Amino acid sequence: MTEVIALETKTEMSIQNTKKILEKYPKDKRYTLAILQDIQRNYDYIPKEAIWEVSNYIESPLSEVYTIATFYKALSLKPKGKYVIKVCNGTACHIRGSDKVLDAIKSSLNIQPGETSEDGLFSIEIVNCVGACALAPVMVINDKYYGNMTKDKVHQVLDEIRRSQNE
Amino acid sequence: MKVEINGKMLNANEGETILELAKRNDINIPSLCHKKGFDGLGRCRMCLVEIKEGHRTKLVSSCVYPVKDELKVQTHTDEIIKIRKDIVMLMYLKSPKNKYVQKLAEEYEIMIPEKYVQKISDDCILCGLCVEACRELGTSAISMVNRGTGKKVSTPYDDESKDCIGCGSCAEVCPTNAITMTENENTRTIWNRTFELVSCEICGKNYTTLETLKYSENLLGQKIECICDECKKKITAATFKESFKNIY
Amino acid sequence: MSSQRQILVCCGTGCLANNSYEVYLKFKDLISNKEIQIKPIIKPTGCNGLCEKGPVVKILPDNISYFKVKAEDVEEIIEETIVKGKIIDRLLYFDTNTKNKITDHKNATFYKNQHKIAIRNIGEIDPSKIEDYIERDGYAALKKVLFTMKPEEVLEQVDKSNLRGRGGGGFPTGLKWKTCAKYNHYPKYVICNGDEGDPGAFMDRSIMEGDPNTVIEGMIICAYAIGANQGYLYIRDEYELARKNMQIAINSAREYGYLGKNILGRGLNFDLEIVRGGGAFVCGESSALMASIQGKVGEPRAKYIRSVERGLWDQPTILNNVETWANIPPIISYGPDWFKEIGIKNNFGTKVFSLVGKVKNTGLVEVPMGSSLRSLVFEIGGGVIKDKKFKAVQTGGPSGGCIPKEHLDISLDFDSLNEIGSMMGSGGVIVMDENTCMVEVARYYMEFLSEESCGKCTTCREGIKLMLDILTNITKGNGKEEDLDLLLGICDTVEKGSLCGLGQTAPNPVRTTIKFFRDEYLEHINNHKCPAGVCKNLTSYQINSEACIGCGICKKKCPVDAITGENKKLHVIHQDICITCGECYENCPTNAIEIGGGIFES
Repeated sequence: MTEVIALETKTEMSIQNTKKILEKYPKDKRYTLAILQDIQRNYDYIPKEAIWEVSNYIESPLSEVYTIATFYKALSLKPKGKYVIKVCNGTACHIRGSDKVLDAIKSSLNIQPGETSEDGLFSIEIVNCVGACALAPVMVINDKYYGNMTKDKVHQVLDEIRRSQNE
Repeated sequence: MKVEINGKMLNANEGETILELAKRNDINIPSLCHKKGFDGLGRCRMCLVEIKEGHRTKLVSSCVYPVKDELKVQTHTDEIIKIRKDIVMLMYLKSPKNKYVQKLAEEYEIMIPEKYVQKISDDCILCGLCVEACRELGTSAISMVNRGTGKKVSTPYDDESKDCIGCGSCAEVCPTNAITMTENENTRTIWNRTFELVSCEICGKNYTTLETLKYSENLLGQKIECICDECKKKITAATFKESFKNIY
Repeated sequence: MSSQRQILVCCGTGCLANNSYEVYLKFKDLISNKEIQIKPIIKPTGCNGLCEKGPVVKILPDNISYFKVKAEDVEEIIEETIVKGKIIDRLLYFDTNTKNKITDHKNATFYKNQHKIAIRNIGEIDPSKIEDYIERDGYAALKKVLFTMKPEEVLEQVDKSNLRGRGGGGFPTGLKWKTCAKYNHYPKYVICNGDEGDPGAFMDRSIMEGDPNTVIEGMIICAYAIGANQGYLYIRDEYELARKNMQIAINSAREYGYLGKNILGRGLNFDLEIVRGGGAFVCGESSALMASIQGKVGEPRAKYIRSVERGLWDQPTILNNVETWANIPPIISYGPDWFKEIGIKNNFGTKVFSLVGKVKNTGLVEVPMGSSLRSLVFEIGGGVIKDKKFKAVQTGGPSGGCIPKEHLDISLDFDSLNEIGSMMGSGGVIVMDENTCMVEVARYYMEFLSEESCGKCTTCREGIKLMLDILTNITKGNGKEEDLDLLLGICDTVEKGSLCGLGQTAPNPVRTTIKFFRDEYLEHINNHKCPAGVCKNLTSYQINSEACIGCGICKKKCPVDAITGENKKLHVIHQDICITCGECYENCPTNAIEIGGGIFES
């Protein structure tokens, strides 16, 4: 029972937050993408009810908002982990062994790209070029860049994050 | 204005597309994503034609390209025929079990690279006509989602859509019969939602969904009699006959 | 002023990744707490180009450049260099070409052969201070335009310079502006394409982060010339720092009266707004980008009416790429004749390249158009990492092609690159060595495009998928020779049948790799061997008995214990255990490990 209540309040709370985001923008279809990006930033993904809210606010059919939410890679419909590990697979990273970096992360976390670890701590994503090609191969964790990655460095970085979590 | 298609001089109207002009003059340009009454979409690429403007020739999709004075058009060059064959081949690889696509492949005498035929056949060729039909109606219950090779047509989250009225227009315009619409005694199921059917007051046959009827009434702002299209036609014909009787 | 020392700490994305911000803060902290007669000014700057050797710290006017500086080094730099004027040898740049240590980075081969126009200020100024930009002649071109030139004269100057769009297509900028100016259909719009999508290219990011004002100045000049009042900067979502610096620059430009109503009292109204990109490669295409600004899905539309006539919201629109905008102020300030002295005929000026991949000096470089690819890779770039064999260079991103060593002397300009089947693109130059598999590279690009195609045209969506399927098959060892004909046939259809540039150029990586590296394809198909050792199914490793010294490094590195052998004796790889990860190959000190064909079970 407590769980149900908790869930409900969370939903209410999130609608509240979405409303705050919406109020910043004029009621114009033009801002659909910008609004969705703000929501993405706020929740780390686009909750279902937020899409409803956006659709109502800008008076655009739900299907059209959904189309935009599924077209752009900056938006995600699935919740992500506390730490989102983006493995760059731009050309420079690709030929300098991004697959090995990815393998090391996958084996350390036991999840596949697009998945979130059971403890909700990590998600892996493969991205196309983060524009730090001179440091290839690169990974980005919550906007922090890690360059010249190797298998050993992956383990170091992940261990450090795990340790900081336990403290 | 004058437009030349395959060497024939034709009178073209301002604002029409090459495809419309060709159709008016019984010149066959194949097209899958074009339907009369809809704007051209330029998706399927079957209607590509070669145009010559000045010294330059290029390929354009005739369903969206507006006619211009002194435009020269070729509809069946070797290059274009090869591209059309490849398009049909590509569609076959995606939808090998679809009757319509199979027929096309036969018609175009396609050599199929069997190795690359998809194991799971998908009937949808993503022409987008269903989405257009739904949008034109003002319902916009379905849309194109995702992008690239993952693109598909669906309702948001594949859920039943509150905007869908079960009218079946999408299924009607679909060239490949890719949209499943099933009807039981009193219900119709489409896009994961089940609708109550309404029967015609005259013949008693189910002819539309309750939601569609309500939607139309809302649009018109008045009550609509529950009469199916066939019966409506019969009534019109009868009235017509009746009025003729009075004249003579 | 000039006698005052400046410490410039590079805070471009590359250096930030190596903790340059900590270095910057440490300098600030230590200097403020230290008794020095004339305190140096400490500035965070944009990218210096040589990202690999970052963080970069430059000390002016001494012209001392330190590389790979850590926060721990800061105290020593202050004590030794700032206080005593001594140079710290350990932090100097080592020039791999001349094998010398170099005090002033400008003397390094990497920088010496460059000619900076678009990135002239980057690394020299604090991008968040408009005053720094103004001090280096910033906004002088705008003043010249507003006070001494008519719009037609501006159009004429840009046209005369023959500047071609730096975003890839190479369309003459002046002609575009002139055409747009002709339409008396208002409002008009000016857009900056900062959605840099080509993997392996980051010059636009660097310019927006390191010198945002030059882009703004270029856009205002265009607005004056064509009669626009509103502009948009479409910037990639991932480029947080670029957006931040750009917004600071916009705000400062407003304060200085360069943006807003009645600019500099000359009656021009023009303002700028940043629009975040949504993360879609196809939005680099102009009609898709405009659709995205309008809040729609980034699907290109048929451009039978060009965007200079009907673009954003169906109004006349000028869209240029970041680097193009950065070229405008210098062209106006110094004139088209000055510009035409740089570069070669029909390709005047410079181009910024991001030199990346298997090359020693990776980073951002700006060279005159017409420089040779060889000089870019082997002089500025210092050659291939570990002096391995050069195989190819990929230019133009997914729309470009691979250029083999036979064509290393090709001139880097729009026309020569097109002729060879590649493209300038936004200027990514990705160096590939003997351990890069060209079939796999082609497959990689098709995979990229299959995700990034908007999915509208059948030819692009399904054609790219078929190409990807065929190439995947070949890399797995299931290819047949006739697959190459099928590939080339479908290349034609995708190119000719697709609506926008993405589809039309998608076959380039496939075509050029088949054209120049057919043998490598055939090795995969007929001999089940990936000569580069990349395709796992088609690779095995053997130890050359003559070269092995029995050091045991391979045994230690092997993650699955597939290697046995006694100390100082020949080691053996057990093929049944080996997972062909390549660790032994990478780490063998005597290159005794050889790549063999796949041990193939059909």
